[in-house]
Amino acid sequence: MADYWNIAPGMESALKECFTRDVEADVTLEFSIPEKDFNNAGKGSSEVKNLLKRLGVDSEVLRRIAVASYEAEINVAAHSIGGKMTSLIYDDRIHIKFEDKGPGIADIKQAMVPGFSTADDLVREFGFGAGLGLPNIEKNSDALHISSEAGHPTLVEFLIFFT
Amino acid sequence: MSDVTYFHAIQILQDNCTGCTACVRVCPTEAIRVRDRKASIDPNRCIDCGNCVTACQFHAIIPSSDPLDIIHKFKYKVAIISSSFFGQFTEDISYAAAKQAILELGFDEVAEEAMVTGFMIGMIRDYIRANREKRPILSSNCPAVVRMIQVKFPALLPNLFHQEAPMSILTRYLREKISEQQELSDREIGIFLIVPCVAHVTAVHQPEGAYKHLQDGAFSTGMIYGKVREIIKRVQNNPKEIDTYPQGLTWALSGVQAELVDCEDIRALSVNGVENVMDILSRVEDHYLDQYDYVVLRSCTNGCVGGCLNVENPFVAMSRIKKMIKEGESKDINVDDLAELYHEGEFAVVPLAPRPIMELDKDIKNAIKKMKQINEFLTMLPGLNCSACGSPTCYALAEDIVLGKATIDDCVVLLKRHSKEDED
Repeated sequence: MADYWNIAPGMESALKECFTRDVEADVTLEFSIPEKDFNNAGKGSSEVKNLLKRLGVDSEVLRRIAVASYEAEINVAAHSIGGKMTSLIYDDRIHIKFEDKGPGIADIKQAMVPGFSTADDLVREFGFGAGLGLPNIEKNSDALHISSEAGHPTLVEFLIFFT
Repeated sequence: MSDVTYFHAIQILQDNCTGCTACVRVCPTEAIRVRDRKASIDPNRCIDCGNCVTACQFHAIIPSSDPLDIIHKFKYKVAIISSSFFGQFTEDISYAAAKQAILELGFDEVAEEAMVTGFMIGMIRDYIRANREKRPILSSNCPAVVRMIQVKFPALLPNLFHQEAPMSILTRYLREKISEQQELSDREIGIFLIVPCVAHVTAVHQPEGAYKHLQDGAFSTGMIYGKVREIIKRVQNNPKEIDTYPQGLTWALSGVQAELVDCEDIRALSVNGVENVMDILSRVEDHYLDQYDYVVLRSCTNGCVGGCLNVENPFVAMSRIKKMIKEGESKDINVDDLAELYHEGEFAVVPLAPRPIMELDKDIKNAIKKMKQINEFLTMLPGLNCSACGSPTCYALAEDIVLGKATIDDCVVLLKRHSKEDED
């Protein structure tokens, strides 16, 4: 499996630990994302946003979380054969994982280039597929990890801190 | 919780309330609860949208507007009419006759919102061009939308159009003009609004944001409608020369207003209906509508023509107003004075403070604790969202329980299940 990390220099070990450490989250939300279900895609991230409003998370941070999670949710609906979104909420951060069942990303580096897209016609018909999904997630998150390979499931996960 | 008490132009008549929960289910901010078989409204959450007034079958939720005779406290009485008013009459009744009827209700002068629509459109465009870094600019004329942003989307407060609404601008303009021409003091001039909705009545009694100039009262279209109809019959045989501004009536229609603002360098979007407004605000919050420069947001269907204190169906009223716009000709009105005041910054309004209602606790650790408790209660509740407990959804009941405003015994479904188990 190929791994892609976007973590600010000097923070590698601390943030990688946030991704992998097995600490139970304070609040967990799970959502399934069916393939090409554009009627419902976006509901998961909207639910997360409402939950974070209840926790009093700063509104600008909230907007970054909303953008990143919406993009990732749409990605799963548009490009995969379905998957799920898991939001792990702690008192200082949110860790959102998107796990799909394939078909995988052949070249992650290329997928990170703004404007690059493999979206099919159906996806474009819905107004998605501009090739800005992953770059937008990267821009709005504090740390990003992607793990994939052609013919395999993909994991996209990111961290955003509340302060 | 805040210490400010908010005024609302909605009253619940306890004697009429049956506790049916119809209002609880239609409230967009979940402000209403039925406890002990009576409804009550949380003033911190209420945005005056009027959904509950429309939903109540028992005349238990009624709008409070002022009695008409308060105008007699003033020497010189002025009415400012909401543009939607003119869509309320059958087509044999002319715009001028409807306006004359208001005058003959006992006013000395009648003005209308429509007089300054052209000026407003110019001001909105200018404001958008001067504030390009805030995209999109959100219209601030609908008080219910502004309150919605304060309570549920506080991050968007800076995007509001921070200039006065037409009724407020007119109030100031008329006060100055009349006190000069008639040599009257401020206290001798009474300025009143004829309004289509609860939110505007509230705005008169608690001016803030785009409504900074105080009026002396507000009358709802529905309340004066009967009287106006009678007068119209009389004035139709005895018409007076009266100025009308059909081109300005676009203000009452959210879609037409957006089309007017829209131009080569400004893209405008029109949204109406409180559910649609919430959906769009959520997308603006996520930066998904940054391609728009201006969004016209109206809480009621089709805009102010959909106000719950109007009498005509919003689609019929809209069609009639569109006909008037097409067929009529507006009297020219000189807005140079207004333009000057705008450029001097006289119409600027102070930014509004958020009224957050969502936060469970100021401290995030405590908020998380409460959230966990809510989730625990949620697993016990049946998930039917039947509102029979008096809270709008099972989630809202779980939240009410954790915040000490209800108990799990309020759930009727659980009670029934338990009593059945006891029998078995």
